[in-house]
Formats: sequence, structure tokens, C-alpha cells
Amino acid sequence: MSLLLRSTRLLTLGTQLAKSNLVQNKQFSISLRLAQLKFTNQHEWVKVEGNVGTIGITDYAQDKLGEVVYLELPEVGAEFEQSNQFATLESVKAVSECYIPVSGKVVEVNSSLSDNPSTINSSPLDEGWLAKVELANPAEIEKLMDQSQYEEFLKSDDH
Amino acid sequence: MKKLVRVINLGRMEYNKCLKIQQHILAENLSSPNSNSLILVEHDPVYTVGLRKQTYSKEYLENLAKLGAQVTKTDRGGLITFHGPGQLVAYPILNLINFEPSLKWYVSRLEEIIIDLCKVNFGLTAYRMCNIGYTGVWCNDAKIAAIGIYAKRLITYHGLSLNCNVDLKWFSNIVPCGITDKSVSSLSKIMDQNLAIKQIEPMFLNSFSRVFDCDLDFVNEEQVRDLIYKVVDK
Repeated sequence: MSLLLRSTRLLTLGTQLAKSNLVQNKQFSISLRLAQLKFTNQHEWVKVEGNVGTIGITDYAQDKLGEVVYLELPEVGAEFEQSNQFATLESVKAVSECYIPVSGKVVEVNSSLSDNPSTINSSPLDEGWLAKVELANPAEIEKLMDQSQYEEFLKSDDH
Repeated sequence: MKKLVRVINLGRMEYNKCLKIQQHILAENLSSPNSNSLILVEHDPVYTVGLRKQTYSKEYLENLAKLGAQVTKTDRGGLITFHGPGQLVAYPILNLINFEPSLKWYVSRLEEIIIDLCKVNFGLTAYRMCNIGYTGVWCNDAKIAAIGIYAKRLITYHGLSLNCNVDLKWFSNIVPCGITDKSVSSLSKIMDQNLAIKQIEPMFLNSFSRVFDCDLDFVNEEQVRDLIYKVVDK
């Protein structure tokens, strides 16, 4: 009996340890991900890997929009100049435009969002990405804000 | 200092003409970040469809057109609705940077205007039902105001409509805003007296300036005529 209790306790302890490890890992991966992101003053982010930038909207942006119920993404192959509108999001009763953080050609869009648009709310920086573009002008990245600059920007009155 | 909102009362105007004026003011306000405007208008009968236009078949829209109303596709949020005589339509073209940079906040403020108007002037309790997905503003279990907006770099256009003494039969031909199990009502029906746009307008403006904490500056009739001439008649 006592052996059984003890092993249960051990098991619980083990689960807790594993959980706390998982939490730490998750936090670590979030901060790692944030560190790789660049931000615009219109609250879009871009993560560059090689010559391809993955684009989405920030957690701040999704919160200010409210639940996304419908979206229109660009066609694969479409080309955009930096800051031009490339996607449209409809939250409850309101439609707003998304502006592309970098110039380039769309190579992939997150088509799973059309069935589950609110993924943009639940996972704006990860599963809620909108599109991937082949960068036309990689130098543009340097002019975007990094995470700490973006956080400062959110504290300012200009956003 | 309080924010200033310029009020442009267009009187009665066909939907697409008014849309041109909205877009004209939007373009002006985009290049003048401190400008905020409010268009008031009464439309000729029109059914309008929001951004999710593929929800409606071509036949469905053609059938609606046979009822004697225009049918127009727009880019606003929300599903199908009706605008027509006896309905106060308001299109605030506000730079939300000057207020609160959130569309979620903005939609809730538009709802609040109607709630405030009903309470202050009629002692009516109007309410939201957005927690169960029913948007707009409700009173006695029926919808009295509908909302659909669009924002370009946080400058809004499109807006809200409030049923004053509109003929409610227009709504029986559609499923307003996609809500199937509720009806549409008007202030006149609820109060059991004729309440025309002209009576409701000053109440609306009072509630608007209270809810957005702003002063109103009325564009005079001559300037409104000039604007209409410049944008749509010329």
C-alpha cells in the first residue's frame, strides 16, 4: 500500500518536473522566436529564414481587432511593394487591411486559416502566420523594429 | 482640448453616391491625421452585402433586386443588410489614433451610442448580444441597429444604421446579418409612435459626442452642396 502511494507520489513528482521543463522549453522557444522577429509600426511581424520571410500580425494587433471571423489572403505568385496592402482581415463587424512588412513575391499562404481564422487570435506569432514571401529587397529588414524597439513603440503614444 | 468631429449631413442620397463621398472624405482624412468626420444620411432602398459576398448566390441577389431595391456589394464587415427611408445611417470617418487604436473598442462604442440614445431619450434598455454571436444593438429581443465597418490604417468608414420609422417589411426578404431566429424592429414600433429621422438625429448626435467625448462642428448646407457637386455630380 505504502509502496503504491509512494510510487504515485513519485509519478506525480515526475509529471510535475516534466511539466515545468515543458513550460521552460515553451518560454524559451517563444523568446527565441520573438528574438528572430522584426516588426512594423502597423503591427505586422516578419521572420526571415534564408531568402523567405514569414509574415503575420502581432499579439497586440489581434487583441485590438477582436476575434477574426474571415480573411482574404493574397494569391501565391502575387508581388507586393513594402507597406502595401496584401491581406484583409474581418473581425466581428469590422474589416481591416494588413500591410506587407517587406517587398516580395508570395510563395505560400496559410490556407488552414480559411477554416479556422481565429487561429490568428490564439497563435498570432506561430500557427496564425499569414503568408511567406520571397524577399525582393533584404535590406528592408534592417529598417524594421526588433522586439525591444517594438515594445517601446507600444508604450509610446504614436501607435 | 476635446477632439472635434465635423458633421456632414447629406440628407437623402443613393447608396453608391454616398459611398463616393465617404471615400473622398476618407482620402482627405488619410492625409490629414487629426481630421475626424461624421456623415449622416438616409438612403434610397438598398440591400448591401459585406466582404463575405460569396455567401450569397447570384440568383439570390437578382431576386432581391426584383423587390424594388438596389443591391450593392461593399467591402465592409458583416453580412447582408438593408438601408432605406426612415433609417438613420451614420458613417463616422474617424482616425482611431485620435481615440483608441482598436477596432474592437470602436465597434463597442458604436453600440454604446445606440444604447445611450435609447436610455436617455426613451428610458429604453437596449443591449448587446455579441456574447452569443448576435451583433448590432437589440431592444425587446429584436434588432434596432446594425453595424458594419472598414478601417484603412485605423481610419474608419462605413458605420451603423438605426431603424427610426423604416418599413420593416424590407427585412423580411433577407436574413439580416445572418441571424435567423430573431426579428428586426424600429424605435417607432417599440415606442408605438412615429419617430422620424429628423427627431432622432439630434439625439444621435448628443449620444455620439458623449460616447466619443468629442465636440461637433456642423458643415453648413452650402458647403455640403459644394461637396456633393465636387464629388458626385460634376
